[in-house]
Amino acid sequence: MTTTSPARSHVGQVVTKNSVAAAIARLLWTELKLVLREPVVLIFVLAFPAMTVLILGGVFSPQDPSFEGIDPSQWFVAAYIGVVIATIGLIMLPVHIAGYRHAGVTQRFRVSRFPPWALPLTHFLVGLIMTGVGIVVLLTVATLSYGIPSVHDPSRTAAGIGLGAMAFISIGVMLGSLLPTARSAQGLGMLLFFPFFLLGGGGPPPDAMGPAMRTVSTWTPLTHVIRAIQEPWLNTGQPTDHLAVTTVILIASMTVWITTARRARA
Amino acid sequence: MTLINTSVKAGTGSCEGDSLQAAIEVRGLRKTYGPVVAVDDVSFDVTAGEIFGVLGANGAGKTTAVECVQGLRRADRGHIRVLGRDPSDRRRLASHVGSQLQSSALPDRIRVQEAVDLFAIPGAVDSFELLEAWGLAEHRKAAFGDLSGGLRQRVFIALALVNRPTVVFFDELTQGLDPLARHDVWEAIDTVRQRGTTVVMVTHFMDEAEALCDRLAIFDQGRIVATGTPDEIIASEPTTATVSFSWPETQTGRLERCPGVESIHSHGGHTSVIGQPSMVGYVCAALIEAGPPPPDLRITLPTLEDAVVAIEGARR
Repeated sequence: MTTTSPARSHVGQVVTKNSVAAAIARLLWTELKLVLREPVVLIFVLAFPAMTVLILGGVFSPQDPSFEGIDPSQWFVAAYIGVVIATIGLIMLPVHIAGYRHAGVTQRFRVSRFPPWALPLTHFLVGLIMTGVGIVVLLTVATLSYGIPSVHDPSRTAAGIGLGAMAFISIGVMLGSLLPTARSAQGLGMLLFFPFFLLGGGGPPPDAMGPAMRTVSTWTPLTHVIRAIQEPWLNTGQPTDHLAVTTVILIASMTVWITTARRARA
Repeated sequence: MTLINTSVKAGTGSCEGDSLQAAIEVRGLRKTYGPVVAVDDVSFDVTAGEIFGVLGANGAGKTTAVECVQGLRRADRGHIRVLGRDPSDRRRLASHVGSQLQSSALPDRIRVQEAVDLFAIPGAVDSFELLEAWGLAEHRKAAFGDLSGGLRQRVFIALALVNRPTVVFFDELTQGLDPLARHDVWEAIDTVRQRGTTVVMVTHFMDEAEALCDRLAIFDQGRIVATGTPDEIIASEPTTATVSFSWPETQTGRLERCPGVESIHSHGGHTSVIGQPSMVGYVCAALIEAGPPPPDLRITLPTLEDAVVAIEGARR
């Protein structure tokens, strides 16, 4: 076994902004490849929302009054953008990030050239990219099956999707940063995902729920994200309140994971 | 083996070399976890270009101390400088300090080549050359999770050296390696040192420390209890040597007169002479004087492990 010779260099040399940006670009590319190598991620993020919207879009009658006068297939297409966002924020990212910390991957990064915020930032960006991929897959399936409803207010719909994605990805990075193991992250993620999914718009529409469940549904963050997307898209209401709630969730969760990343040295 | 200006401060558990050449300076380091004092009043220097070993039992505080030096933990008290800078100054130190941590890992699905490319500063090293140097070239497309324990350890060592660091930390470097692989790693680490890299090794393998380290600091209950070269530490404890061989019981009288012999045990034609290490030469000379030397002559000299056990045992 032989070794490569060390080069003497000036210790005052700073890792420049350009070199950090290049390092993070490489990290982002590597992380994307790693995420795409996880079959569970592919099933949950890409297959689950597309498959479920296919089924639910055909379950209800087009004249069902519970859907605020909207064709159920169109109602679910708009809602399932939110479901893609929730799978990434509540299942994919917490498990991935907590698994990194539990196994010692995060520790490896702490003794590298990467600044402490590089890994959470990269996971945030990976979440955004995977959300984009998941939405494209969902809309492709919808186009080939029921068709995509026309967008009434594109800018507000885009705001709902963007803010919703950032809020849930932030929740995902926060949970992954706080939970001790991948298993605990998976448990809590599932525990949050299914009530959010069923009450927030992925299951029965609010008008089909009893009063108690309808009230509970207004307390789930995913309800606000889905309504912030659906209302401007399908012209069923003004999403201002939902956008405001989503923004608060984004700021709060982002504050927690940024603080956690900065306190990494114990 | 490099001998440096080493002073041991009684009571403070410190070992300080020549601070002008120090790659690492630690003074009065203290770290607690709630009520537990993990490291207390620890001081040492690591001279540029040497291999410095940190030894001690589990829970002795050695990993905590070295993690504080690497900037992975914030010390409660004390002064630490790595290459003249505070270890928290990662921006400036990142490309000059390499680490192999006992508790670190890589994602299972990352490939070996991807890992090296990820952690390398562009242009610092030819990644293929590095992989070849560590016997990893043929595994470069393998997923980390599919590698054996020995190959994983080699990946971590390659990553620690990927940016040609000035100072490199190895924590339990050869854990999980087979004996042949351990000796390969020792050889490679010695080559790294010969080329000017300062190496700090945390280990509980005494043979490894004895074979590789220029100087050692032995930790016990959060403090440094002994320091010096391996030879100095071995010599500092009243440990014994043993010479054993087949020998007629009637002739043991001539061995009793050898200086340094403390006791002689004979049974069934086999004799063991126990005494100070200096008696070995006298005993061998006496055997040769009496006739052909016994073909099964075996000499057991005191080892670093004997000395460390004696040092730690004396504190219990």
